[in-house]
Amino acid sequence: MNRIDQLFQTKKKNILSIYFPAGYPHLNDTNSTLELLQKKGVDLVEIGIPFSDPLADGPVIQTAAKRALDNGMSLKLLFQQLENARGNIAMPLILMGYWNTVYKYGVDHFLADCRKSGVDGVILPDLPVEEYEEDYKAKFELAGIYNILLVTPQTTRERLMQIEKSAKGFLYMVSSLATTGGILHYDSKREEYFKKVSQLDIPSLIGFGIHNKESFQHASRFANGAIIGTAFIKALQAGNSEKFLNGLR
Amino acid sequence: MKTKVCGLKFTSNIEALAKLPIDYMGFIFYPKSSRYVGEELDVFCLKNIPKGIKKIGVFVNEDLDIIMFKAKKYGLNGIQLHGEESLQICESIKRNGLEVIKAFQIDEEFDFEKLAAYRSSADYFLFDTKSKQYGGSGKKFNWGILKQYKGKTPFFLSGGIGADDVKDIKEFKHEQLYALDLNSAFEDVPAQKNKNKLARFLKEIKMTTKNKYAVDERGYYGQFGGAFIPELLRANVDELRENYLKIINSKQFQTDYHRLLNNYVGRPTPLTKVENLSKQYGTNIYLKREDLTHTGAHKINNTIGQILIAKYMGKKRIIAETGAGQHGVATATVCALFGLECVVYMGALDVQRQAPNVARMKMLGAKVIPAVSGNQTLKDATNEAIRDWIANPESFYLIGSVVGPHPYPDLVTRLQSIISKEIRKQLQEETGNLNPDYVIACVGGGSNAAGAFYHYLNEEKVQLIAVEASGLGVNSGETAATITIGDVGFIHGSKTMLMQDEDGQITEPYSISAGLDYPGVGPLHAHLAVSGRVSYISATDQEALDAAKLLAQSEGIIPALESAHALAALDKIKFKKEDVVVVNLSGRGDKDMETYMKAFA
Ligand SMILES: Cc1ncc(COP(=O)(O)O)c(C=O)c1O
Repeated sequence: MNRIDQLFQTKKKNILSIYFPAGYPHLNDTNSTLELLQKKGVDLVEIGIPFSDPLADGPVIQTAAKRALDNGMSLKLLFQQLENARGNIAMPLILMGYWNTVYKYGVDHFLADCRKSGVDGVILPDLPVEEYEEDYKAKFELAGIYNILLVTPQTTRERLMQIEKSAKGFLYMVSSLATTGGILHYDSKREEYFKKVSQLDIPSLIGFGIHNKESFQHASRFANGAIIGTAFIKALQAGNSEKFLNGLR
Repeated sequence: MKTKVCGLKFTSNIEALAKLPIDYMGFIFYPKSSRYVGEELDVFCLKNIPKGIKKIGVFVNEDLDIIMFKAKKYGLNGIQLHGEESLQICESIKRNGLEVIKAFQIDEEFDFEKLAAYRSSADYFLFDTKSKQYGGSGKKFNWGILKQYKGKTPFFLSGGIGADDVKDIKEFKHEQLYALDLNSAFEDVPAQKNKNKLARFLKEIKMTTKNKYAVDERGYYGQFGGAFIPELLRANVDELRENYLKIINSKQFQTDYHRLLNNYVGRPTPLTKVENLSKQYGTNIYLKREDLTHTGAHKINNTIGQILIAKYMGKKRIIAETGAGQHGVATATVCALFGLECVVYMGALDVQRQAPNVARMKMLGAKVIPAVSGNQTLKDATNEAIRDWIANPESFYLIGSVVGPHPYPDLVTRLQSIISKEIRKQLQEETGNLNPDYVIACVGGGSNAAGAFYHYLNEEKVQLIAVEASGLGVNSGETAATITIGDVGFIHGSKTMLMQDEDGQITEPYSISAGLDYPGVGPLHAHLAVSGRVSYISATDQEALDAAKLLAQSEGIIPALESAHALAALDKIKFKKEDVVVVNLSGRGDKDMETYMKAFA
């Protein structure tokens, strides 16, 4: 069974997912960060494939991606790092990146390497669901790699149905209309949106704007858990990632 | 779709019809026909028919010698064989360099299998209504029968087609339908065609038949285009996609748009024959003067159109990106005109390089936000503009070229197509022919080129040349020649050609001209390059500078550095003396004076 399904079957609430860019802050930090996350009881990890033009990301992730690229990080290198990591790491691993890097790598090659290095799923924000269904869904399903799809406050009910049909693992519920790294504000409309999505049969996690224990717990009330990215990167940068993770639970 | 008007013989009628956008004229050399040209057909008149119209002689079971004699005498380009001619005759005619159109008379019993034998000896088939006198019945046959024709040879559809058939023609979809053969339904008396009736019909047909370089329902040009955007942008892009065609096809938009183009932008812009340059290059060079528009570049054609769309959609805040600042200025201008809030993202590096345009935008009341991400040029400004739109979905993103997710490439192409629409009309007045031999334009994102090429895309005889900026040289690593050195990828929501490294990281382009300094290109251009319809060449910084100086000193026109790249192509092509060459002068050089002063110091 895919490790993502396993996780959501055994744990229904307060699932903590952490995002960090591969090769950051230093080229060979990917594996030690993974080990730290496992030690601190993080449930799910999203590893960012650095890209030169991360359209959906705010300044913190942009800067981190640029630094990783300057360090010499690449998708090819990431797969090499992960092959060494899987032995010690039991958490489900998801790669998050932009479609151009995957396309350039070659989709078949990419899926094969995901399998080889124990990757369970991917998040490709700029591959729209209709393109995925038309050209790639069959390949992903054959490889057993889950394509995690995003929904937003503007996603219509019709589209939500379409996305749910193709979704695997869980839905990535984008909290607000903004790039990553903003602040999440609650109002009745937002809560309605969270409720609408969490009523679907597929599990969901809330991401964008979750930055500390309080916002994590609050968001977790509306979904199976939440995703923290920017705030963790800031902690990595400041060298206090362990303390940050201790403070989340 | 092509059109052939058949059964002509009177000199004044032929001369009148030669002004219509038709592709073939047919002359009947079969003595028993009521439209038989007889002996009075005017050789001189036929020789004067514009090159764009092919002359076809129609024969029925005639001897090869006679056919070839008439072909030579009247300068025919092709022969239509309307009887029971053998394969050998077809082949002999073809070997003599003439097009062969083999006609067949169709009824319910027609055996389409027998056509296969003619595949290599006929260029086209013509399907006519079966009658006792070898066609010319003026009656239609049941076109549904043609479903049985599965061959690869394109065909002319003939037999009684008239003004009332536009709808049927539109609904009749056959992959090999190549041309309509028009005759008796457009006549006042046999062989005398009614020009106005024909003109109206041609216009209606043109509007209903598909342009094969047009975007499809999914937003693709061939394999390129689409809308590769995060779900966060979906609703924004959908809103525009659902509205743009409705708006631009509306009467009100057309009225407002053209009124503003005429009275505010200063259109039509002149088509100037540059005599000194023509002499130097030994050919006939015309400049399409987009430099003479308000704000000094073609960019305003697009911003005027998009601001009207924004207004009709009830938008209050406009977001734009800019490289050289030309699109930023054109956007700030129309925002001032319509009283809308204007936010322009500009790479921090470009803010320094293009100070005069920054000052213009500010004076026009726009807020200029330096993009400090990435390499701080146009690509990064575009990223920032899109990020702003994610956070502010009620705003209107006014994109500056034929790039971005569908529907932007199509929208901007349509708005810029005014350029080639005017060129056609002006050339016709100037030379008697709608079509030049060449159209040349520079390509950054590709909007001025898309506009200058648009109405010529299906005129395969017109050679279209796009000029990219190769910076210090195509292989120098300091270049912006996307199509020349790039490959397939995804940038700013579009599948297209782009410059990237082996890991799929988008690389930073370089060109002396900020407007061409973009690592991607519109998906239409990727498609035109791959399909071979347009030739993509490049010019270096130095070649562009030299071309700018030459134009300034021989014609008294200082071009924008971008446009100077198009002019540099004049050195790279061997023109014939009689060629008509149109260069799209996309903008004026005022904004580039600092660069020119440094280069020519
Ligand atoms: C005068 C001029 N020509 C050409 C361009 C290039 O853009 P495009 O390829 O979209 O026409 C620019 C862009 O700023 C420009 O200012």
